[in-house]
Order: sequence, then structure tokens, then C-alpha cells
Amino acid sequence: MAMTSTLTSTERQIGMALSILLVCLGLVMAGVAKQGPMMVHGGMAVALGLVLVFVLGGALYDQPEPSPERLTQYDDAPIRFGIVMTLIWAVAGMAAGVWLAALMYWPEATPPWPATSYGRLRPVHTSGVIFGFGGNALIATSLYVLQRTSRARLADALSPWFVLIGFNLFCVWAATGYVMGQTQSKEYAEPEWYADLWLVLVWVTYFALYIRTLARRAEPHIYVANWYYMAFILVVAMLHIVNNLAIPVTWGAGESFTIWSGVQDAMIQWWYGHNAVAFFLTAGFLGMLYYFLPVRAERPIWSYRLSILSFWGIVFFYMWAGSHHLHYTALPYWVQTLGMTFSVMLLVPSWASAGNAIATLNGAWHKVRDDATLRFMFVAAVFYGLSTFEGSFLAIRPVNSLSHYTDWTVGHVHSGTLGWVAMIVFGAIYSLVPKLWGREDMAWPRAVEWHFWLAVTGTLIYVVSLWNAGITQGLMWRAYDEGGALSYSFIESVEAMLPYYAARTLGGGLFLAGALLCALNCRATMCAAGDRVDVSDRPLVAQPAE
Amino acid sequence: MLKLHYNLEKISMGLVGAIIAVASVGGIVEIAPLFTIEETVEIPADMRPHTPLELAGREIYIREGCYACHSQMVRSLADELDRYGPYSLAAESAYDHPMLWGSKRTGPDLARIGGKYSDSWHMAHLIDPRSVIPVSIMPAYPWLTRALDTRLIEDSLATLARLGVPYDADMIENATADALAQSRPDSDGAEGVRDRYGEDVPLRDFDGDPDRLTEMDAVVAYLQSLGTLTGEARRLMAEEDE
Amino acid sequence: MTTDPKTLPGADPHTGNREIDPVTGYDTTGHDWGGIRELNTPFPKVALIALVLTFAYSLVAWVLLPTWPLGRDYTRGILGLDQQEMAEEQLRALTALRADWLARFEDPDFGALADDDALMAVAMPAADRLYRDNCAACHGGDGGGGPGYPVLRDEHWLWGGAPPDIALTLQVGINAEHPETRLAQMPAFDWMERGERLALSDYVASLPSGAADPDSPGVPLFAENCVACHGDGGAGGLLNGAPSLTDAATIYGQDVQRIMETLWQGRQGHMPQWSDRLDKAEINALALYVARMSAEEGGE
Ligand code: HEC
Ligand code: HEC
Ligand code: HEC
Ligand code: HEM
Ligand code: HEM
Ligand SMILES: [Ca+2]
Ligand SMILES: [Ca+2]
Ligand SMILES: [Cu+2]
Repeated sequence: MAMTSTLTSTERQIGMALSILLVCLGLVMAGVAKQGPMMVHGGMAVALGLVLVFVLGGALYDQPEPSPERLTQYDDAPIRFGIVMTLIWAVAGMAAGVWLAALMYWPEATPPWPATSYGRLRPVHTSGVIFGFGGNALIATSLYVLQRTSRARLADALSPWFVLIGFNLFCVWAATGYVMGQTQSKEYAEPEWYADLWLVLVWVTYFALYIRTLARRAEPHIYVANWYYMAFILVVAMLHIVNNLAIPVTWGAGESFTIWSGVQDAMIQWWYGHNAVAFFLTAGFLGMLYYFLPVRAERPIWSYRLSILSFWGIVFFYMWAGSHHLHYTALPYWVQTLGMTFSVMLLVPSWASAGNAIATLNGAWHKVRDDATLRFMFVAAVFYGLSTFEGSFLAIRPVNSLSHYTDWTVGHVHSGTLGWVAMIVFGAIYSLVPKLWGREDMAWPRAVEWHFWLAVTGTLIYVVSLWNAGITQGLMWRAYDEGGALSYSFIESVEAMLPYYAARTLGGGLFLAGALLCALNCRATMCAAGDRVDVSDRPLVAQPAE
Repeated sequence: MLKLHYNLEKISMGLVGAIIAVASVGGIVEIAPLFTIEETVEIPADMRPHTPLELAGREIYIREGCYACHSQMVRSLADELDRYGPYSLAAESAYDHPMLWGSKRTGPDLARIGGKYSDSWHMAHLIDPRSVIPVSIMPAYPWLTRALDTRLIEDSLATLARLGVPYDADMIENATADALAQSRPDSDGAEGVRDRYGEDVPLRDFDGDPDRLTEMDAVVAYLQSLGTLTGEARRLMAEEDE
Repeated sequence: MTTDPKTLPGADPHTGNREIDPVTGYDTTGHDWGGIRELNTPFPKVALIALVLTFAYSLVAWVLLPTWPLGRDYTRGILGLDQQEMAEEQLRALTALRADWLARFEDPDFGALADDDALMAVAMPAADRLYRDNCAACHGGDGGGGPGYPVLRDEHWLWGGAPPDIALTLQVGINAEHPETRLAQMPAFDWMERGERLALSDYVASLPSGAADPDSPGVPLFAENCVACHGDGGAGGLLNGAPSLTDAATIYGQDVQRIMETLWQGRQGHMPQWSDRLDKAEINALALYVARMSAEEGGE
């Protein structure tokens, strides 16, 4: 089942032309830069372009023209690729997380060369899991859900490949750039200007593909999952462009200065950063939840009306909340008040979505008990509720005065990302992989159960230890004795963290073990599928003419 | 309302437009006034931009991801004023593209670190933190003793000048030479650095190796400059005390 | 206001009927996306109440606090709060808490203070925290010093170990930017013959053991070049910044290699001034803390 088998010869030719363009782009980058990360990245583009030329060119000679029959089926080949990339990034990104966690306990383990230092690897972890793992999962599932809920095939055959391959090139540029010391330092937006521009190109294509496919839908109404995926695509584009505006130092250096500075830059950065959480780590995954949970539970969504409230509530309120990352800083007080109050109001639509998901399980609780895949989704909804409650609480200024800068934030982050984001992705993966590779079930159904418990235990150990760490840290920083003098020096608070950091490493290790098991299980499932022909289910209604 | 939505969700471009409109409000209301309300950033008269050497150090600070563990933002909270010194002013990062306020304090805040320790302490600490602080969990940066790459300094100043940082033509033209001269107080160029950046700019060989201009020179120069670009924060606190 | 059921989402336009979900008893909206349906469950009241409550909370905050931008200005809120002023206020309250004991360090009679156990019980922990946040990086958590940084807990002093002397050292620093900083420079003896330097180093290295060879060629060299600063026999104590060399706890290390280095390149340690970071009373408390540290270790 070659990736290229569903492409017509014209499509293969256009694909080759695009690949040659990529080679040219790489050559220009490498040529202009002559050295440093930008040259390496140009080289990567050249290599990728050449591989694609080779693959497509080979297909042009060896592979028969696909039958027109394919147009009556969903286009799942790019989705399969996206799922494989999701699994690869999951293991790589979380392994980086565990390694970082270990370094905070055991800094002497840092090898004495620059590339593996903590500060360079940390964004490899964050970008690796958010963009690599989360992003691939979002793009792949969005294309799957889009087709099923529209009962339409993707609008064209090449752009999904362009989106997925282009996005992964972005992720690889990001991760390898950090390791080589290339970063803009803006959290979650660290890649340099040319990678940022490349992502814009990928994203515009993604949006066009989405909207064109949606236009072919058979059901007049657009399903809620697609509202969320669409909000994810649109708002991430807005955020990405505004936050990454920068002027390159020279065209060849792969270095730039953000056009914003100081307090305005801080506000824009956290308007971006907070809404990267909202629209990357939340809206997109709510889209995922809205499809896979009802399908797996075989239950209707509990309340359509509640869906409307939560969707628009999330889109509106979230965008005001970013300043809660800047409480008590040099950002003017008035913006902080807005951030605080909107974060509190945000709790309502957030809990409305979590509640809607959990209520959807009414009548399917026996399935939650028996089916680890559905249980992943249930736990995801619960953690979504927990972490948004925690988030709104942390956004209240006096609470934030304690939690900000401490490991409490990191605990909150991982209750969201491990408990919610990763769990819902695993639920979706266990639903999807058998379907996409034409099998009844995963190759090792028992391993799903194991993975579930590893993930839940790992998350709890991680989050509970860091809550303790963060609160201890925050209290130590501000503790005064009766004489009115600070009680602890900073370094005493560092020492106090060590047991918690050790526990977090253990929790993260368990979580990683689960993810690894998932990847192996998927691999076994895919291998067992062997050389089956395209098994994509058929759209239920005839395709509108092209 | 329900009916309205019922119709909206049939029109994909309508949904797109609505999402963009609804999602834009918050950002516009919170960000745009930061450019128009004057008291947001008030640049003090004595504020100077970073010297070329400090700027190069800042790039290394960014490259190594120091901001992942260190904030540069003393919040307006009594315990922070007590521990770190005067609260940070918006003006103090007004020339920072981007700002480095940070979001995590695995290590202490560095906004007021300038002058707190000696150059040789910073040097020892960066090469091996545990040689000076046995319980430190900060990573070691032994490779910072390599030569500083000064090729981008001039273009960096020119780019920042375009973005409104007060670097004049003289500063840009002499950027590369000034980077070296700042670490060579006895050289001919040293006077020029003083002329351009002010009498208080430290002119020293920061890494104790006068023959080489190293990344360590740059990072230490940068660290020693933190909190010293303007005296305004300390002045405001002192006024308050009277 | 009642709506005509026929116009409701998903209703059959003729009968107004919709499919009823057997579990919840609610009707569906009538849409079907590849098997997914939605219930037309009425809006849960609790969500509305929560929305109203959180909005009320926000409204109160908006009235009380600075909130809404107005072009070139913003609403100040009726409490008229300013976060910087509030922080200073809080700090003043804390300073007031410690004012009664800290004030006694403003212009202290250290001897009397040190005998006041009640005072020491509050002041020394505070000084200990100051020491750990500011000094331990160089002088070690226990005052044990480190390569390049003098031991503070022993009885040897560069600039005097009485609390007022220590306080002055802290105030102005050593080789620091302070206009009145203490200056300490060990000149480089790079003009000496290498043999002479070796002999000197051997001799100086043997001083702490008390078994220095009186016939060493280092003796005359030392007398000629070093005694002026390091005192007779290198015993120090001249309080000019030059350390005693007869003491095992040295700044840079007392092996021949390190002494050769000292002679070759000279030394100029840098101790930051603390006058602009700590106030006078804090510095005095620290000075007493350091003096007591040394007294505990080795007697006055
Ligand atoms: C893994 C987290 C981590 C990273 C990355 C890190 N630090 Fe640190 N840093 C610490 C910790 C913990 C301390 C407190 C212990 C100590 O002083 O070593 C510290 C202390 C410091 C101090 C002393 C602050 C004071 O007031 O005592 C300076 C200066 C410093 N770091 C600079 C840097 C620079 C420059 C970099 C990057 C090149 C860096 N740090 C990277 C964790 C880190
Ligand atoms: C950056 C490193 C550094 C820091 C931080 C530091 N010191 Fe020092 N200190 C030194 C050095 C170096 C010397 C010796 C200077 C010389 O070589 O002449 C010294 C000398 C001293 C002396 C004089 C010792 C004598 O024998 O007379 C005292 C007392 C002292 N320090 C106390 C403190 C206290 C208290 C603090 C904290 C408020 C502190 N130091 C912080 C580096 C430091
Ligand atoms: C002008 C005064 C002066 C003269 C003359 C002088 N020294 Fe010093 N010496 C100092 C000072 C001041 C220091 C401390 C420097 C510092 O701490 O940075 C010092 C430090 C030293 C040290 C390091 C001590 C330690 O604790 O590690 C040695 C060894 C030393 N001197 C040996 C000598 C010898 C041998 C001579 C004669 C050849 C000599 N000095 C002449 C002022 C002097
Ligand atoms: C109602 C929803 C939420 C609110 C109001 C909220 C609020 C907050 C607050 C107040 C902080 C701390 C800011 C600081 O002190 O620096 C924070 C940090 C963070 N939250 Fe949330 N949160 C919410 C939901 C989530 C969810 C669901 C996730 C993940 C899926 C998440 C991921 C993060 C991340 C990654 C950070 C760290 C940002 C950084 O400092 O790098 N949040 N959030
Ligand atoms: C195996 C599991 C994981 C481990 C052990 C782990 C570990 C870590 C560590 C050590 C940090 C740095 C914290 C610090 O600076 O103090 C971190 C940060 C972060 N991680 Fe993870 N992580 C894991 C999984 C994930 C996943 C799956 C995601 C997202 C989907 C994620 C998102 C983040 C984010 C957003 C941050 C930055 C937080 C901030 O800036 O406040 N992590 N992680
Ligand atoms: Ca970027
Ligand atoms: Ca040098
Ligand atoms: Cu946030």
C-alpha cells in the first residue's frame, strides 16, 4: 500500500514539480546562509525534496494509474502518515521531557557539549510534544473527522501531503535548530523567521484544504468538531503571524529581532502563548473529543445547545485571558484585571464542554468500564475539567502571586497536557489505527489496558509531586519570620525541590513507558495489516462532480 | 439566537468570519492601548541601550536557553522587592526585542544581578556551578570560553536601530570594534565606547583572558549590565522611602 | 415566549416531531454526521447561573480596579489601586515589623548587641538568610571560602575582623566601584628571575607548616619584597588587604603551583560593595553575623 498509489500521474507530476521547488528553496537557503543552522536546514529541505522526487518519479514509472473508484472513498493515506508521525514525535518529545526531568535532579549528567544542554533541549521537548505530537495528531484526525462528518473526500489529493510533510519539516527545523542554538526565545514560538514563514505557507494550504472539503459536505450543517478544528486553524494562524513578526539580522544568518519589544512584546507573547494553549492544546483537541467520544460510546452528544455556548464562550473569553501570565509584572494593572476576570468567566464554557462530554457517556458507562480506549477519552474529559478549573484559579492575582514562576505552573501544564491532551490523543489513536489499517482491533488489546494504567499513574505522580513542589517553593519564597525578615534563601528552595523532581522523573518515566507501548502496539497492528489494499470506508453518498 | 446559530452553522465562510471576529476582540482591546497610553512605558533620561558586547552576550543567553530557568522581572510584591531589589519597570526592557521576562524560576531572578557578583565569580559559576554552589542544579557551560563570533554585531545594531532602539550611525559603524574595545580598557578604542555609551559603562576584561574576546566576555558583560541600564528603578524606590 | 416546535432545530417541519433518545428521554436535533447525533437537551440552568455569577464577579472587579482602556487612558477603579504603590506599602509594613530590632543596628554598639540574646535570636536568622542569598555564593555556606574567596570563619582578616571593620568592608567592597572602596593589589613579580620566584614560592608554601627553612634563599627575597605588605615572616595582620601567609586557610591555595601563579600575574580580588543593595542596618547585622561565625570557629 504505497503512499503514492492513490495519486494520478498528473498529481505525481505536480508533486514532483513541488518537490523540485523544495529542493530549490533548500539550495537557496543553504547558498545564502553558507553556514550555521540555516544552511543545515536548507540541506534538510534539499534532502527531503530529493527523496520525494525519487519516490514520486519511481511511482510514475512503476505504479499503475489509480482507479477512478478511489474518488468514491475517503482519502486516508496522508492520515496514516500523520498518525505514524504522531507516534514518533510522542516518543521523541516525551523522552526529551523525561531526560529534562532527570537533569533537574541530576545536573551533572549533562554531557559537556552544547547541543544537549538543558536550555537547548527544553524547547525540543515543548515543541516536540505540542507541535510534533499534538500537531500531527490534530492535522491527521482533523482530516479524518472532516471527511467522515462531511461525507466527502478531501478536496484534492496533494495538499494533505503538502500540509503534513511541510508541517513535519517545520517541526524538524524547530527541534534541530534549538539544538544548534537557534531560537527566538519566544516560548512556543521559538523557531526562526524562515521556519515561521514556511509554517504560514503550510497553514494557509491547510485552511484552504479544510474549507474546500467542507464546501463539499453532504450534510447541510457543520458538525461541532469542525467548528473547533476550524477555530484551531484560524486562530493559530492569527496568533502565529502577529507574535512572530520579526526582522532578520541578515538574510543569511537565520537570526532575527522580534519587532515588538518590552511590555508590548510581553503582552503579545502571552496573548499568543496562552491562546496556543487555548486553540492548539484545547480547541483542536475538543474537536477530536467531539468526534471520537460519541463514536466510541455510540451515544449522541448530550446537548447541542451547550455545545454552542461552550464553543463561542471558549473562542471569545480565551482571547482575553493571556495577561494572567503577567500578573504583578511591569504590564499595566488594567490589563491584568482583564486577564483575571476573563479567565474566571472562561471556566464556565470550559466546564460546559467537559460536562457535555461526560454527560454524553450517560448510557455507556459499562463501556467506559470495559473499554480502555473509551476510558482514555473519559479521563481526558475529567482532566480537561480539572486543569481548566486549576487554570482559572491560578489566574486570580493573589493566587498567581504564589504560583507564578514556580513548579505549580509546570504541574498545571502537565495536568492539561498529560491528563487531557495526551489522553485524548491516545483514545483517538486506539480508535483510528485499527480502522485505518483495516483491522478489527489493536494487535495487542491487553496492552491498551496496561497503557491506560501507566498513563494515569504517571500523570498523577507527576502532577501531585509538582503541586507539592510548586506550593512549597512559592511559600518558601515569601515566608517571613516573626522578626519581619525573609525566612529562606533562594537556594534552600532549590534544595527543597529535589525529592519532587525525582518523583516527577518517575511519573514521567511511567507515562513515557505507556507511550512507547502504544507506539509498539500500533506498529504491530500496522505490520499485521500487511499489504492490504486501501481499506477506507466509502462515503455514504455520491461525490459531487469535480 | 438559537435560530441564528442554526443558520450560521450551515455557512462555512460565515463561521470563519464569525470566529475571526469573535476571536479578535480580546487582543485588540488589550494590546492596542499599550501603544497609545503614555504612562505604559516612560523612558528615563539616563536609560542607555546595551553595548555591542552586552548585546552579543544577550544573544548567547538566548541561545543557551537561560531564560528557561531564570526570570528577569521583579514583580511588584513585597517579598520580591526584599529579595531582589526594586520592582522592574516597563522601561527597563523597552529596548529588548524580544523581552526576556521569563516564566519559570528554577534559578533566581536575574533582573538585578548586575554588580552583585564579580566577573570571575560569574566565570567560575558558568564553567562549573557546583564549584561555587555545591547544591546548585544549574547546568555547566564550559564551552563559553570559546572565541566570540562578532560577525553579526554591526548588522544587529543596525536592525535594532530600525526597530527604534537608539543606536546612532556612529554606534553602528563602530559596533564590532566597540565589542572588542569594551573588554580592553587600555586599548585605543576604549574611549570611544565611553563616548558612545556613557561614562558608567564597565570597561574590563570580563573573563580574565586579555588576549581573547570570548563568549564568556560577552555573557558576563551582559549579566553585569542587568539592572544597570538606568538608575530609575532605584530612584523611584528611594523617593518612596522619604 | 413559546416557540413553535415545527421551527425547532431538527424537527420534522410538518409534525414538529423529533427522534427521542431512549436513555435520556430527550429528542435529537435530527442531524446525522456519519452516525453522530446530538440531543436537543435544554440549556442547563446551572451553566447560566455560573455564567451570571462569574460575570458578577468580573463586574465588581471592573468597578473596583483599573480595567478598561479608553484610548489614551483607562478606568482607574474606585479603589484607585496602583500595584507598585501597594507593593511598597506592603514592604513598609514588613520593614515596620523588623524596625524595632533592625533600628538597633543603625548605629550600633556591637558589643552590647551581641550580648543581647533576645535580639540575637531574631537578628541572626535574618542575617543568616542575607548571608545565604548574597555572600554564600563566594564565601561558601559555612564561611569556608573557596578558590579566590577568603575564609570568613577563621581568625585571620585582610581588613580587620571587628564588626565595624567588617561592616566597612561590606559597605565599600574591595577593589569595587565604590569611590571609597578598599584597594588590595598583589603586584605581579614577573620581573623576578624564575629561580627566585621558585625559591620564594617554596618558602611561602612552607610557612603554614611552621617548618620553613630559615636558610632558604626565599628568606631574603621575602624580606626585601614582601614584608612591607604581608608583615614580618608573612604573619599578615597589617590590615592593608594583604593576607597572612602563615595561615593554612588561604585565598588562592598555598601550593607552589598556585603561589607561582600569584607571583607571575599578581592578584586583585573583587568583593562587590553592598551599600546600594543592602541598607546600613542590614550590613551591620551581617557584619556581626560574620564576626560571630569566626568567633565560634577559632576564638577572637
Ligand atoms: C536548569 C536550570 C538553569 C539553567 C538552564 C540556567 N540556570 Fe542559572 N541558576 C540555576 C539555579 C538553580 C541557580 C541557583 C544556584 C546557583 O547559584 O547556582 C542559578 C543561578 C544563577 C546565577 C546566580 C544568581 C544569583 O543571584 O545568585 C546566575 C548569574 C545564573 N544562574 C546565570 C545563568 C546563565 C547566564 C545561564 C545560561 C547560560 C543559566 N543561568 C542557565 C538554574 C539554571
Ligand atoms: C563576588 C564574590 C563575593 C561576594 C558575593 C561576597 N564577597 Fe566577600 N569577598 C570576596 C573577595 C574576593 C574578597 C577578598 C578580596 C581580596 O581578595 O582582597 C572578599 C572579602 C570579604 C571580607 C573581608 C575579609 C577579611 O579578611 O577582611 C569580608 C568580611 C567579606 N568578604 C564578607 C562578605 C559578606 C558578608 C558578603 C555578603 C554580603 C560577601 N562578602 C559577599 C568576594 C565576595
Ligand atoms: C603591595 C602590597 C603587596 C606586596 C609588596 C606583596 N603582596 Fe602578596 N598580596 C597582597 C595582597 C593585597 C594580596 C591579596 C590579593 C587578593 O586577595 O586578591 C596578596 C596575596 C598574596 C598571596 C595569596 C595569598 C592567599 O591567601 O592565597 C601570596 C601567596 C602572596 N601575596 C605572596 C607574596 C609574596 C611572596 C610577595 C613578595 C614577593 C608579596 N606577596 C608581595 C599584597 C602584596
Ligand atoms: C480555563 C482554562 C485555563 C486557564 C484560565 C488557565 C490559566 C493558566 C494560568 C493562570 C497559568 C499560569 C501563568 C503563570 O503564572 O505564568 C497557566 C499556565 C499554563 N497553562 Fe493554563 N489555564 C487553563 C487551561 C489550560 C489547559 C487545558 C492547558 C493544557 C492543555 C493549559 C496549559 C498551560 C500551559 C502550557 C501553561 C504554561 C505557560 C508557560 O508559562 O510557559 N492550561 N494557565
Ligand atoms: C513523559 C512525560 C513528560 C515529562 C517527563 C515532561 C517533563 C517536562 C519538564 C521537565 C519540563 C520543564 C519544566 C521546568 O522548566 O521546570 C516540561 C515542560 C513542559 N512540558 Fe512536559 N513533560 C512530559 C510530557 C509533556 C507533554 C505530553 C506535553 C504536551 C502535550 C508537555 C508540555 C510541556 C510544556 C508546555 C512545558 C512548558 C511549561 C512551562 O513553560 O511552564 N509535556 N516538561
Ligand atoms: Ca518564531
Ligand atoms: Ca577576554
Ligand atoms: Cu494562560
